[in-house]
Amino acid sequence: MMISQVFILSSKGDRLVYKDFRGDVGSDAVGIFYDKVTALTGDQPPVVMTHKDVHFVHVWQGGLYLVATTTAAASSSPFAIIEFLNRLAALIKDYCGALSEKTLQMNFALVYELLDEMLDFGYVQSTSCDVLKNFIQTEALSARPFSLFDLANVGLFGADTQQSKVAPGSAAARPMQGGKSEIFVDVIERMSVVMGANGVLMKAEVEGEVVVKCFLPSCSEIRMGLNEDLSIGDPQLRGYGAAVRVDECHFHPAVRLDEFDAHRILRLSPSQGEQSIMQYRLADHLPLAPPFRLFPAIEKDKTGRLLLFFKLRCDLPPKSSAVNVSATVRVPKGCVSLSQELSSPDQSAELQPHNRAVVWNIARFAGGTQLSALFKLDVPALSSASTLEVGPVGLTFELPKVTASGLHVRFLRLAPAQHRGPARRWVRYVTHSDSYAIRI
Amino acid sequence: MQEWANQLCENRQFGSKMTDSKYFTTTKKGEIYELKAELNSDKKEKKKEAVKKVIASMTVGKDVSALFPDVVNCMQTDNLELKKLVYLYLMNYAKSQPDMAIMAVNTFVKDCEDPNPLIRALAVRTMGCIRVDKITEYLCEPLRKCLKDEDPYVRKTAAVCVAKLHDINAQLVEDQGFLDTLKDLISDSNPMVVANAVAALSEIAESHPNSNLLDLNPQTINKLLTALNECTEWGQIFILDCLANYTPRDDRESQSICERVTPRLSHANSAVVLSAVKVLMKFMEMLPKDLDYYGTLLKKLAPPLVTLLSAEPELQYVALRNINLIVQRRPEILKHEMKVFFVKYNDPIYVKLEKLDIMIRLASQANIAQVLAELKEYATEVDVDFVRKAVRAIGRCAIKVEQSAERCVSTLLDLIQTKVNYVVQEAIVVIKDIFRKYPNKYESVIATLCENLDSLDEPEARAAMIWIVGEYAERIDNADELLESFLEGFHDESTQVQLQLLTAIVKLFLKKPTETQELVQQVLSLATQDSDNPDLRDRGYIYWRLLSTDPVAAKEVVLAEKPLISEETDLIEPTLLEELICHIGTLASVYHKPPSAFVEGSRGVQHKRLPGSSGSGESVESPDPGSATATEAPPAVIPSQDLLGDLLNLDLTPTSTTGPPPPSSGMQMGAMDLLGGGLDSLPPVPLRTDTPQSPQPLHQSPSPPDHSPTEIGGDLGGSPAMTAGFGAPPAAVPPSFTAPVSGGLDDLFDLGGGVGMPVSVYVPPKTLWLPAMKAKGLEITGTFGRRAGVVQMEMTLTNKAMSVMTDFAVQFNRNSFGLAPAGPLQVLTPVSPNQSIEVVLPLNTVGPVMKMEPLNNLQVAVKNNIDVFYFSCQYPISMLFVEDGKMERQVFLATWKDIPNENESKFQLNDCHLNSDAASSKLQGSNIFTIAKRTVEGQDMLYQSMKLTNGIWVLAELRAQTGNPNYTVSLRCKAPEVSQCVFQSYEAVLKN
Repeated sequence: MMISQVFILSSKGDRLVYKDFRGDVGSDAVGIFYDKVTALTGDQPPVVMTHKDVHFVHVWQGGLYLVATTTAAASSSPFAIIEFLNRLAALIKDYCGALSEKTLQMNFALVYELLDEMLDFGYVQSTSCDVLKNFIQTEALSARPFSLFDLANVGLFGADTQQSKVAPGSAAARPMQGGKSEIFVDVIERMSVVMGANGVLMKAEVEGEVVVKCFLPSCSEIRMGLNEDLSIGDPQLRGYGAAVRVDECHFHPAVRLDEFDAHRILRLSPSQGEQSIMQYRLADHLPLAPPFRLFPAIEKDKTGRLLLFFKLRCDLPPKSSAVNVSATVRVPKGCVSLSQELSSPDQSAELQPHNRAVVWNIARFAGGTQLSALFKLDVPALSSASTLEVGPVGLTFELPKVTASGLHVRFLRLAPAQHRGPARRWVRYVTHSDSYAIRI
Repeated sequence: MQEWANQLCENRQFGSKMTDSKYFTTTKKGEIYELKAELNSDKKEKKKEAVKKVIASMTVGKDVSALFPDVVNCMQTDNLELKKLVYLYLMNYAKSQPDMAIMAVNTFVKDCEDPNPLIRALAVRTMGCIRVDKITEYLCEPLRKCLKDEDPYVRKTAAVCVAKLHDINAQLVEDQGFLDTLKDLISDSNPMVVANAVAALSEIAESHPNSNLLDLNPQTINKLLTALNECTEWGQIFILDCLANYTPRDDRESQSICERVTPRLSHANSAVVLSAVKVLMKFMEMLPKDLDYYGTLLKKLAPPLVTLLSAEPELQYVALRNINLIVQRRPEILKHEMKVFFVKYNDPIYVKLEKLDIMIRLASQANIAQVLAELKEYATEVDVDFVRKAVRAIGRCAIKVEQSAERCVSTLLDLIQTKVNYVVQEAIVVIKDIFRKYPNKYESVIATLCENLDSLDEPEARAAMIWIVGEYAERIDNADELLESFLEGFHDESTQVQLQLLTAIVKLFLKKPTETQELVQQVLSLATQDSDNPDLRDRGYIYWRLLSTDPVAAKEVVLAEKPLISEETDLIEPTLLEELICHIGTLASVYHKPPSAFVEGSRGVQHKRLPGSSGSGESVESPDPGSATATEAPPAVIPSQDLLGDLLNLDLTPTSTTGPPPPSSGMQMGAMDLLGGGLDSLPPVPLRTDTPQSPQPLHQSPSPPDHSPTEIGGDLGGSPAMTAGFGAPPAAVPPSFTAPVSGGLDDLFDLGGGVGMPVSVYVPPKTLWLPAMKAKGLEITGTFGRRAGVVQMEMTLTNKAMSVMTDFAVQFNRNSFGLAPAGPLQVLTPVSPNQSIEVVLPLNTVGPVMKMEPLNNLQVAVKNNIDVFYFSCQYPISMLFVEDGKMERQVFLATWKDIPNENESKFQLNDCHLNSDAASSKLQGSNIFTIAKRTVEGQDMLYQSMKLTNGIWVLAELRAQTGNPNYTVSLRCKAPEVSQCVFQSYEAVLKN
């Protein structure tokens, strides 16, 4: 595990940060990397690229390439390097508020300092914010100028207005040093579902994590209560009841679990910045029905057009809704035009001939409702096999305030510590689609 | 005080200059001056800002080395932030300004004594990064102190510093006894220190493969395991990787280490997980399989591997490449986790292909229904590569799980109905394999296949279809019509198709002799008379002779029962797999190549092996590499050739999945050597006459050991017939040889003589080196050659003067390859006027070297009793190609990739009327070895290697289009300047 160089490039290939740790790779590696990465085609795995005996590993975050080079193929782990680069990105976000060309240019001295403490002679020393802050001297400069809009979130006269109960998405994007004492807990889930042509659920999987982003100046202990009926492991072991269940979960090494078995309470003293404190996975046996079902009908009309009639139902509870729903329907080769009838005006659909797909966008989709669409496709070379080519429908969506596993944070208590003033606590939930496919 | 005065002085100096520089502020120089002034400012903030500006310029690649003294001046500060910035600058520029770097040494040494541990550590860290030899001597004392510092932060930094120092000056580190101190640090109380010490020792140990630096014994292992629980995730990786190099003494110890490593499997950092998996996979080898703990361990390994798949696609891909290895070694770990490998519709293609590969490896009777349903879905996806691989996968399932075969076949038929061109072709190729595995079971589908005859445009699919028609000719009514339709464009087909067609028609003839006589004659004459492909001609002649001599024997041979194909998918060769398992989690595991394949000699790479099971001594699971060759293996089951051709990396050969060498070349080589070997042993006279016995050696000659029948049979469908042909007892040849056949045979032998026999080295004709006019009557013509591994200079000395010449001697000027006479010039008798003598001068290549222009130029001085004469000549570089220039395929491929594209030179070789095989054997005579041959769309590609006497390897790719006399030669070499000469040799060899 020896990293020779670390550099950060803008999307245009400009060097933003460049540090050589071992002196065994020339600085021309930057140019070579950029040439290689821009020459990649979509079907080549971008993970590791090689030039002579230099290996490049990179991650792409915030519109920037974070790259590490190494010459030791036998002992360097791509996992470790990718993990390291991701941590680097997270740390830069923690320290500078965001990872962007601008913040890097403003804070390059800080980033160099970070790198110096994180890596020595290419060996990773530490990526923990708590450890690093003992060594870091430079102060971060925030890229965001003061704006009146920032005040919009402040509750008037301390009153807890309805609006301020929801933390805006961008609220957590700021440097961790200084500022308000706040703590954000995000429960983020990603959902993969495959539904068979007959509507049978063939595969359902949820991967979730609990992320804490802490802006508290002192590391006082927090106690976080999860669902009391949360069970871990095999469903058969648990008998009946609508318990919330996960198959497996991992915790951050710093989480203390002494109250977890009895009361499902996590205790931790989060360090400043962002960390994932719990990751879990749940396969099959989801507590709720999958959020979307599709009822397709495919036929050919007399003029030789292919008619696709879709009814899409959202099975979320009526109070919730899905946003940014987009359904991608694969259509036969050689499709030239599309005419559409959609059931409401806030939807749109377009044909993307190069992808052989019709994309149906729905901005907001309330739970318990149903939308329908009729697509008429002109396919010049329509054959009997063409209907077979109408392929699976892939859905992407976001479900705010919903967790597919049913996991909830019951409470979030801060130990009555010596921090200044009351701390704001935010808990946010969101479920994303990872891969949601409905076969036809 | 002194310093302050200096600064003041400099400031004043700059002050006066500043007024001038105003005029130049737009130039670069102005900028530098400005920074200089700011650096020397006495305000701390301003200084800091200035250093930041300098570093900013440094980052974008501007040269700010001119500011070195000014920046170094800022070093003596108690502001840590400023100090760090200055050190950052120092690390970057010290190397280019070694003399000035010395200026900083005093401060470093002082800082190493600072009460603040941060400053001590910072100093020792930075000093190690200044890669200047002169500094190292000053570094030793501070480093020694820091290694024993009371603060663990300083100690851990010092531990790494030893590795840095070792990189600059290894001898110094040994002399100063730092290695022993470093070893002591393994027992340090602080886990971070232990981890860094382990990392440093591991790296140093790599460059001393035989030293016992990392003396791993149960005591140290115990210390490491203790530290493992306490140190950071990154330290855990170092320690786990180090543990993986240890070989436990017995299964007890192995188990206890496994028990202590297992908790790492649930770590959130995937690198820790993978390093733990590596240790467990290795130590598991030593556990007896009936142990309860073994089963427990297997169960524990599955969940972390599954979890890896929830990462982002890039990590997923890396994880899948590793899982692919693990599944090959221990499929039982993931046998219940099939579902997680199902492809998501939005996975990137490289993830999809990798998942598919693992799915087939895990397919079993228990999950086949599920797998098949998935594969069918995939076969209707958009991406062509993926669809093809999915269709092939269905075929693999049929072959692997017998119970599913019927369902697979019907799935394939459904897919054929879609009429999507590439799906149909792929399906036909796999159905052929299914027929091979389950003969006489699914012929009912043949009718459907025949309907799609016209849409087949890929050689592989055409060949497969023809094989099916030939194999089942008796059940296809219009088999003759079908085959005849292919025959029309016979010469436009690729070799693969031609060979299949030939075999299929012969099969047809043997099955329905009455109606197809004309057809068989047509194809035999097309193959033997109109084709210049030796494979095709050989096969044609063999059939011809078989048919004309003994039709019954022909039937036995051609329609013999075929060996079954094996059910395992393209597995990685076991020894390679073992080595790769030892490298789980590293880059090597992503490439599926051993680290030695892409690491230049600089770092010693040891080949790692898995430990054997402690009980049985020599492990059954790790077969000796020697026995991996198929020689001893019974030819009953042949590994089916790389069915799922590695679509992802379209290498010239699927090296990452080598089991058997690619059959295409194996087949040809085998057949050819067989012929050549047989004819070699015969006196030449009977060959020319039509003696009836002459063909016998063809059968009697034992096949060369390296080309086993298994390989010959590795070719698709048709070749089993060939295998059987060679394996059959020698058929007695009746004396009543029919005229056309014997004529043909004669031709065959000519061919055999030309192709199979060891061709002597090409020696260019003698040329005039020294005309008599220039050398007082001495004329020298000469040439170079390589005979029996010795380079020779062959000269004819002619005396055109009036007097006798004696006392000849020769000397060479320094030249590119160090050629020098190996002995004196042997002219024993005086050369009288008008007499010519032949002299052969053996040469060696140990003389002094100097690069010549052109590279193969040789300046020679010849002396006789009259005078000394000088001339220069050019030798063919081919005489420097050594006999052991045949590269391993693996190495070839890796080297080929390793050599950058810009080192490749392409040449056009015109008017060469040899086919690729003849060319190959001709080149082999000159020690240009063909390593692999590939045929793509009628274009033959030969991959060749040669090695020069000075150890330079040259790799070549020769492309020949059938019927086109122009070859393309691409040469790759680390030393590209030789390419031109090498090509000249190619030209010379091939055209003569």
